[in-house]
Amino acid sequence: MSSTITKVAARTESLRKVYGEGDASVEALRGVTLEFAAAGFTAIMGPSGSGKSTLLHCLAGLDTPTEGHVFIGDVDITTLSERLLTQLRRDKIGFVFQAYNLIPTLTAGENITLPLDIAGRDVDRAWFDEVVDTTGLRDRLSHKPTELSGGQQQRVAGARALVSRPEIVFADEPTGNLDSRSSDELLTFLRGAVTDHGQTIVMVTHDARAASYADRAVFLGDGQVVDEMQAPTAERILDRLKSLEV
Amino acid sequence: MLRATVKSLLARKLRLVLTALAIVLGVGFTAGTFVLTDTALKSFDDLFGQVYANTDVVVQAHQAFNPTEGGGGGGGGGQELNPIPERLLPSVRAVPGVRFAEGSVQSFAQIVDPATGKTIQSGGAPTIGSSWSPDLSPFTLEPGGAPPVGPHEVVIDAGTAGDHHLTVGQHVRVVTPAASDEYTISGFVRFGSSNSLLGASFAIFDLPTAQRLFQREGAFDFIYVQGDGSSTPEQLAARIAGVLPHGFDAITGTSAASQQQDQVNQGLGFLRTGLLVFGFVALFVGAFIIFNTFNIVVTQRSRELALFRALGAMRRQVMTSVLVEAAVVGLVASVIGVLVGIVLAIGLKALVAAVGLKLPPTALVIAPRTVLVSLVLGTTITVAAAVSPARRASRVAPIEALRESTAPSSSIRRRVIVGTLVTVVGVGSLAVGLFGGVSNAGYLVGLGAALTFVGVAMLSPLIARPIASTLGRPFRGRIAGKLGGENANRNPRRTASTAAALMIGLGLVTFVAVFAASLKSSVTAVLDRTLRSDLMLTASQFSPFSPQLARGLSSSPDFSAVSPLRQGAEAKVGSSTTFPVGIDPATITEVASIEMDAGSITGLSEPNTVAVSRTEADGKHLAVGGTLQMQFARTGSRRLTVVGIFEPNALLNDYAVSLGTYDANVAQQLDSTVFLKYATGVDQATARANLEALVARDYPSVEVNDQAQTKATYVKQVDQFFAIVYVLLILSVLISAFGIVNTLGLSIYERIRELGLLRAVGMSRRQVKRMIRVEAVIIAVLGALLGLVVGILFGWAMQRALSSVGIDRLAIPFAQLVFMLIVAALIGLLAAIWPARRAAKLNVLEAISYE
Repeated sequence: MSSTITKVAARTESLRKVYGEGDASVEALRGVTLEFAAAGFTAIMGPSGSGKSTLLHCLAGLDTPTEGHVFIGDVDITTLSERLLTQLRRDKIGFVFQAYNLIPTLTAGENITLPLDIAGRDVDRAWFDEVVDTTGLRDRLSHKPTELSGGQQQRVAGARALVSRPEIVFADEPTGNLDSRSSDELLTFLRGAVTDHGQTIVMVTHDARAASYADRAVFLGDGQVVDEMQAPTAERILDRLKSLEV
Repeated sequence: MLRATVKSLLARKLRLVLTALAIVLGVGFTAGTFVLTDTALKSFDDLFGQVYANTDVVVQAHQAFNPTEGGGGGGGGGQELNPIPERLLPSVRAVPGVRFAEGSVQSFAQIVDPATGKTIQSGGAPTIGSSWSPDLSPFTLEPGGAPPVGPHEVVIDAGTAGDHHLTVGQHVRVVTPAASDEYTISGFVRFGSSNSLLGASFAIFDLPTAQRLFQREGAFDFIYVQGDGSSTPEQLAARIAGVLPHGFDAITGTSAASQQQDQVNQGLGFLRTGLLVFGFVALFVGAFIIFNTFNIVVTQRSRELALFRALGAMRRQVMTSVLVEAAVVGLVASVIGVLVGIVLAIGLKALVAAVGLKLPPTALVIAPRTVLVSLVLGTTITVAAAVSPARRASRVAPIEALRESTAPSSSIRRRVIVGTLVTVVGVGSLAVGLFGGVSNAGYLVGLGAALTFVGVAMLSPLIARPIASTLGRPFRGRIAGKLGGENANRNPRRTASTAAALMIGLGLVTFVAVFAASLKSSVTAVLDRTLRSDLMLTASQFSPFSPQLARGLSSSPDFSAVSPLRQGAEAKVGSSTTFPVGIDPATITEVASIEMDAGSITGLSEPNTVAVSRTEADGKHLAVGGTLQMQFARTGSRRLTVVGIFEPNALLNDYAVSLGTYDANVAQQLDSTVFLKYATGVDQATARANLEALVARDYPSVEVNDQAQTKATYVKQVDQFFAIVYVLLILSVLISAFGIVNTLGLSIYERIRELGLLRAVGMSRRQVKRMIRVEAVIIAVLGALLGLVVGILFGWAMQRALSSVGIDRLAIPFAQLVFMLIVAALIGLLAAIWPARRAAKLNVLEAISYE
């Protein structure tokens, strides 16, 4: 890669993941080696079953690879105990899932500070305010999730992912349940986090338009990296995807 | 639809098991009670059959009624029978068809263990004295022994001899109504194949000795007759009856056995009813858990149910499917419950044997009634508890299948109206039962209590939120605690109805605690007020003792007043049973201050007079100068003139008569208490020491207590009794703990995504566990608080209802209640163990990629 001078936020080495055993086994990842530069926004794309979600789960320490290594910063997380892995997720990683991102009993504000509360860390008020202002949800902080729209909920989830200043944020189809306007709002928010605050984001998506917000698109097919693209646009991505699906 | 039901049942085995457990325990206890009491009855049946095996006909005095052989009370031989004059024996022997006829006397006889100097008594088993019957004995002499002959020999049952290492030829002290003396053991006896008769101790003397020791000179209690086989026992009994004077009956051995069986039946009947109450309470608590579980499950399955509806299932079919599920759960649980009950009965039997009541080795009696009642009860309760959830399930609209939504719940308004109504009816019937003076008050009180619990449970969701919020406050500092508190709060109905199950158990515990404290406080206050004696002589195990002791002391210069009190014989006034007290009107006022409403206690010195408590006098409209009919088992109906009306107190029951009147109508003329007052100028310590030495030598069963000790002894007895009640209530509390486990388990299943999210963003397993524990503790403490309130109100109502009979103080044992709250919190922690572990073990990836 050309990014040897850039700091690497996360990387994988010959990552393999096999589900099941014997004849019934499925190889979801077949030797994936990737680097994610700090302050970069990477979209991972690929058809269903290409292994993109598995890759994200392994990167985030939610799933353990069968072979290979995952580094978050300098730490090889495949060697960590469940306890240390939990702490790593808490302190170094931010998440945005497709849905069910928020705890229904907590207000939007409490949801945002959840990882800090779990860690028992103090909230950096200035940073909190900045993040909240970017989401445009200041007047909604005391609302419960059920009182927010889908787009607002996802922005709260985004704010939560950023508030603990993680080394890397993983987003799994974050716009999957949103209409195009809400999608744009969320993606603009994520893009801003990368551009303005140097946040590293890795996002799995099958939406070309969403991927066009990223600096780089990585294409997965059948458990392997088949291509990647710098400064992608929606058209180029769609063309590439078509060729992959043939 | 049916197949879908069965499939859904099997798919959730664990939930099934937890739900069923509530019913299993309740049914188990009920079935166990039946099996235990049936088995005990069968044992007694066999026993009486053996005792009367050689006896065709029994001659005994006529009884006005058959007194209850109530609570075991160790007296033994307390036959309320007139003695039979010896001169009747020759005429009975002369009746054609009689092979043998023997007179027999029975009373109590306490054997003193030579090793310890204490009277031998195992548990509540009687200490029986009997005369030896050479020809018709139900006893078999063990080899190496000989029948008792003369005034210095005794035969003892092999069971007692074995337990206390007695040997033939050894000297033992035996306390009988007339004497306390040493006798030489001439042999041991067994009863058929059994060493012991239910743990009772037997001291058997030859007839003349027994007559003297049991104060039956020239008389018998029974004449046992064996025929020569030429006629049936019925014919023989009829012929013998022909030669008996008025007042004596000849009955067959079989009917004598069944008469005694009836007495035991009544006693065991009380025991059965008492135990069944606890079984029903357990089932009642179980019903709450069934209701709760089905409600949660209906909510969770609402999409599935809606799909059925969308596919064309009728409402009725949906409802039926839920009810069928309940019926299957109920039936399976009841079947297991019956099996558990049998095991429980074996355990209880062993327990009963351990405290001394040795049942003969009879196989367990499992009557068809036991199985039927248990199955019907368990299944009915389960189905009944599921009716409301089933109705709710049937109201799920088909459109719900397409929506992310929960099953509809009845409006809060309706809930408030119905809940209030049920509570009002419950409290109303409770009040009528307690204060209305109606018959069957017990059922009314039970029903009222049950309805009150249901009503409060229905209303409790209204207050669950604020209370749960308050309870959660101390935990809010940390995120796990905060989330746990919020979870307890998010579905107040679920939290409240889970807590309600615990409320019942702890409500009853609170009620018992308040009642026991009030009882102790009231009675000790009354004792303080009433007792003026310095010392009291009482016998352990409530067994009365020889009046010789009081007679001997009355001539002692150490005491200025010696006042014996006798009680224990059952009598009837109208249809109600009472236990009149015999007192010495001349001395009672010196040892006790009896507050008189009208008349005087000294008026009792006239024969055939009675003093009545104010409550009883009010209830029966009695006034000084009026008369009442009191029926005694031995002498029949007696007209007594009312000479005084006294305020209820701890010493006298409802009716007090003079010792003379008592002895004229009651066969067992033994003292149950003797009150003593020191003479002035006497060195009290020496006087007491002398008295204790005398008692230890001649009356080993008697205890000497001063006022403080009397109170302490009384408090200890009350505590012991209520300790048993607490133990029996633990069952219900245990079941409600299962309810908490169940609700938490189901809630976790429901919140699986949320838990996954929390774990994904870095919540540790410990924090997850803590979160679940906080929720459980809040639920448990909420239940305990509700229970405290209801229990204190019940206790207060009970105390008010009984204030007229002497429980005139309300005492609330705060320390005990605080302890209970702590225990409730611990129950919550225990109940959370399994759900917390489950939640912590959750696979994060599976949880978040669910669906």
